[in-house]
This record gives sequence, C-alpha cells and structure tokens, in this order.
Amino acid sequence: MIIKYYESVKTSNYMSKNWKRNLIGGLSFTSMLFIFQACYGTPHDVGYDVLVEGTVKSKTTGQPIKGIKVAPYNDIQQVFTDEYGNFSFYILADYSIGLRFEDVDSTLNGGFASKDTVLTNLTSQMFVNIALDSK
Amino acid sequence: MIRLINGALFRKFKQIETEVHELNYLFWECTTRCNLNCLHCGSDCAKDSKFQDMPLADFLAALDTIESKPAHFTVVLTGGEPLLRKDIETCGREIRKRGMRWSMVSNGLLYDKEMHNKLLNAGMGALTFSLDGLQQNHNWLRNNKNSFAKVDLAIDLAVGSPRLNFDVVTCVNKRNVTELPDIYTYLLNKGVKAWRLFTIVPIGRATENEDLFLTDQQFKETLDFIANMRKLNQLDVKFSCEGFVGKYESKVRDSGFFCRAGINIGSILIDGSISACPNIDRSFAQGSIYKDNFYQIWQTKFEAFRNREWTKTGECKNCGDYKDCQGNGMHYWHGNKENVLTCHNHKLKNALLE
Repeated sequence: MIIKYYESVKTSNYMSKNWKRNLIGGLSFTSMLFIFQACYGTPHDVGYDVLVEGTVKSKTTGQPIKGIKVAPYNDIQQVFTDEYGNFSFYILADYSIGLRFEDVDSTLNGGFASKDTVLTNLTSQMFVNIALDSK
Repeated sequence: MIRLINGALFRKFKQIETEVHELNYLFWECTTRCNLNCLHCGSDCAKDSKFQDMPLADFLAALDTIESKPAHFTVVLTGGEPLLRKDIETCGREIRKRGMRWSMVSNGLLYDKEMHNKLLNAGMGALTFSLDGLQQNHNWLRNNKNSFAKVDLAIDLAVGSPRLNFDVVTCVNKRNVTELPDIYTYLLNKGVKAWRLFTIVPIGRATENEDLFLTDQQFKETLDFIANMRKLNQLDVKFSCEGFVGKYESKVRDSGFFCRAGINIGSILIDGSISACPNIDRSFAQGSIYKDNFYQIWQTKFEAFRNREWTKTGECKNCGDYKDCQGNGMHYWHGNKENVLTCHNHKLKNALLE
C-alpha cells in the first residue's frame, strides 16, 4: 500500500515536471532543446526506418535457399539469405519499398529465377515470405 | 528585453531538465583500441589497448536495466575506433532489438562500401566522422598519411545515404584555423549538411603539442567564422557544446550552452565504469556495471553532475557569467579540480581587449 502510494506520488511528480519542462522549453523559442548532441558524440537519430525481415524458399521443394541477394531498388543496401533462407535489414521508411530477390551464386545453392516485390502500407516491421521458381 | 526573458526561461529549463534528468543519450566506449595515433587524442588510445573490448553481453545486461526509454534514446558507439570490433554489426542489431537507436563516431579509416552496407542493414541512424583539415593538416593531426583519402571516401558514402543523420566534426587548431574557409567549401561541394567545430582539450597526448591550442585571438576568429557561415544558411555550421561563449552564444549554436553530462548524457566506459561523456575525468565515475545496477546509479547518483556548485572555485568563483556557464563543460575539470582547464568566455574577453 505504502509502495503503491509512493509510486503514484513519484509518477505524478514526474508528469508535473515533464509538463513544466515542455512548456518552458517551448517558451524559450528553440526547437533544439530536446534533440541535442554531445560535444564528442553524433547527432540524434530522428529518422524513420523499417525493419524488413523474411524468408526465401524454393517454390518447387519448399526448402529454404541460402545466398539469395535481397536488394531494395535504387539503393546501395543489400543482404544475402542465410542457411535458413532468412534475411533482415533496416531501411529508410518511404511510401513503398521495392525489393529484388536474385540468385547471384550461379548453381551453388540451386538455380533460381529472380523475383521482384513491392511492400506497401508500411509499418515499423515488415515480414516478407518469397518463393522462387527454379530456372 | 526579449533576450533577458529568453535567458531566464532557458535557465529555468536547464534547472527542470536537471531535476528530471531523463537519460536519452548513452555513450558506449566499446573499445579503446585504435588504428590511428592522433596527436590530440584525449584518451591516449593506442593500437594495443590495455583493456579488452567490452563483451557485448555485458553492455546489453546494463542496457536492459533501463526502465523507461524516451522516443529518441540513442546509444553512441565510441572508442578508440568502434570499427575495429568484429561484432559491430551485431552490437547495432542487438541495440535496435531493444527498441533503441544507435549511432557511431569514427575516424573513417575502415569505413568502406561493405561496412556502410552492413551498418545500415543493422539499423545505424546517425554517424559522425572526424575531419581535421584538408589533406596535409588532417594527415598531420591524425598522424597517418592515408587518413584524409580514407575519410574523404567515407564522407561520400555517408552523404549518399538519406537514412543517416550525418555530420562532420573538426578540431580547430593553430594549423587548420586559417584553412576553415577551404574546409567549408570542400564540405559544401561534397554535399555535407552539418559541420561541428570544437577546440582541443589540454589532456592526454594533446598536452605535449602547443600547435594544437588556439590563441585567444584565433579562438575569436573561429567563432566569427562560424557566425558568418551560419548567416549564409548553406551548411549547418555550429560550435560544439563544449563551453560557454558569452556574447557569441546565440550566434554560433542553435541553443544556449548547456552541458548535459550526467543530466541527459550517460556512458558505459571500457572498464565498466558508469559516467557521462567519455572525455570527462575518470574520477567522476559513479559506479560500475560489474557491481551496480546501471539505471539505479543513473537515477540516484550523479550528484557532481547535477549540482555544479562545486565548480565555483578558481576563476569561476567570482565570475559574473556563472549562472549561465556553471563551470563550463564538465570535461574541463580534471586532476585536482581546483580550476577549470579552459574558460572560453575569458578567451573571448581577452581577445576583445587585444
């Protein structure tokens, strides 16, 4: 009971201080008060990105495929699927994300045709399961 | 009148920030190994550090003690040179898994296309490279003849990634102070959006070299340069938050001087010590992640950071600007802490008298 009371007082003090903090911060006419950088640090990361995760399998066998290159359109980023066919990467959030799945290791892990897909209605985490046709 | 009201509001704001002391910026000194041997290094980093890199699991255990994380909570990987860690990508991914952002300060020597790709995939959202002049001066300070060529390529990669909140930092010294306009043009041509300038703290290896420290007049010229470049609005140029600069405050930065060390900024240092910015004297450590609960230490200790009355000594004792400065940046208090190592405000006042 005492602990609960203490917690509620602590929370209400915090809320009250936070309210004052926002008000006074806003009144002092600077937008950089809450987003700062330490002198020997980096800027804050205030960007929006999406975690894209998924699995690539063979349409014929249903088995995961290793070594498939997964690359967003028009971007330097790329990843390769692991032995379980899994991949994951963060990318800048946009209206949509176009992805190309490409077999670039010749016949090392089987031969597969490339495939494209476009992710829309983005949330912070997107799952993509892709099945590739054999060549 | 508006300036006076603003000043009073800003002081009140700092007071409330100190009371709330919301942790939203955490340095992790993940290694003290370094692939350079910079003349100005404050931490005396070397190729063979006496410390092993901190195991990721140890850092994550400390991170997991944090009970409430604000929206823009950022972990800043620093060193030494963070890219010397083989598991840097895993470090980043594990931080993101915990709902936190991460960023990195690097000398750029190992930052190539493959590294860039790996770190973006791991969710890196902000990045800072050091550039201390054009080729000759940068290589001199960095003590490496290939350093400029490498960071030049690294900057191109960072600029090409809209995901990154990226900036360049420059340590202004006697050799590069006259080169600042050329560095400005170079960065502008590169497409860099933000440039932070700071001076060198007389600690570590830096104390051995007089060329590293600006005269009072050169310091004033540096601030004049920043103020003039800010008016052009082509590049976000600013003086770092290292110290209080009196009448220049509103001309060289977006907001007034506020040393947030121990107020919003914490750190986990290479040996597990819990402190604020890594360049602050190690005697200010508040505990150790190997003995204490990190977040409990953050919430209950840090008295010397949150009440700076103890800095009213030496030349700060009777200073008329103390209420706005509060002893300058915490990293200017070393050794016996009887006097501030550098007073930027005095340097400016001296320059105006010359």
